[in-house]
Amino acid sequence: MSWAAHDLEPYAIQKHLGLKVAFVPLLIGSYSPDMMSKWFVYGVHLGPWDLKASDPAQFHRGWPGVGFTHSFLFGIVIGLIIWKVFGSKLWGVSFIIGQFAHAITDTGDTVGTMLLFPWTFHFHLDAWAYAGQTGRNTDAAAYFSGLGSMWDLVFLVYGLYSWRILTSQYFDEVIYRADSFWPWLNRFVPRGALIVVYRAAFFYGASRWIAWTIWAHVIHHYPYDLSWGGPHWVPAAHP
Amino acid sequence: MRPGLSFDRPSRRDLTVFAGYCVASAAYIAIGVTWIDFLFSFWVGLGYLLLTAWLLPSLVRRLR
Repeated sequence: MSWAAHDLEPYAIQKHLGLKVAFVPLLIGSYSPDMMSKWFVYGVHLGPWDLKASDPAQFHRGWPGVGFTHSFLFGIVIGLIIWKVFGSKLWGVSFIIGQFAHAITDTGDTVGTMLLFPWTFHFHLDAWAYAGQTGRNTDAAAYFSGLGSMWDLVFLVYGLYSWRILTSQYFDEVIYRADSFWPWLNRFVPRGALIVVYRAAFFYGASRWIAWTIWAHVIHHYPYDLSWGGPHWVPAAHP
Repeated sequence: MRPGLSFDRPSRRDLTVFAGYCVASAAYIAIGVTWIDFLFSFWVGLGYLLLTAWLLPSLVRRLR
């Protein structure tokens, strides 16, 4: 799984597609595969109950489970529903692109994704360890010690290099113009706040990439292991 | 023509805005490493950013 890439990738896609995509559904698409499943992967306490998947990796990425959320078919079906319900092809297509980016990025770990569901084969590059089954803190420590965090860093650096996509001028000329959602929201929320909303996912991804890196390596001294499939100090899950 | 990558240089105003976000980010990171639950929610991040990068600066400008 990836931590900050899903926040940062939409900005890189936005830079290349400009007025052809709408940012909000692109971001929702990028978040969508994990939206309803991540809490059950890590587990939650609800009063006297502990709710957690008995096999988190299977639940998250497999079948039976909700692994179909990381498939192209899921993105296309939800994209078509958005197109029909909201009457916006732009929103439907943007959602699909964001969801595809998430599903493809998550093939980088050791569990991978069922990209061509209903075919249940897992596409996985094994570049970094999937450790969701170890709980969120150990998962974070492992992720920010391996190549997954370096993949995030690529998009962080690329976003900063392409800094113009974060400016108010770019927001006015591209983001606001491309999608009627923004003029609609502008009836209730001032422009200054809209720009902050647009920048929020980049801020969130970049800030927590730094925060988790500090937490894992300055405060807790987890060892870096940038070898393929690492870090090897954590038990990686496989399909 | 100069070969290689060209980097679009930000203006002074762009750098001032960026510096403001860096200060907000530094505070977010400080809170996050102290209390890691703070880092888990996008909505918390969005609320925090609206507060620090829009609402507070707007209030300060109005009070001046």
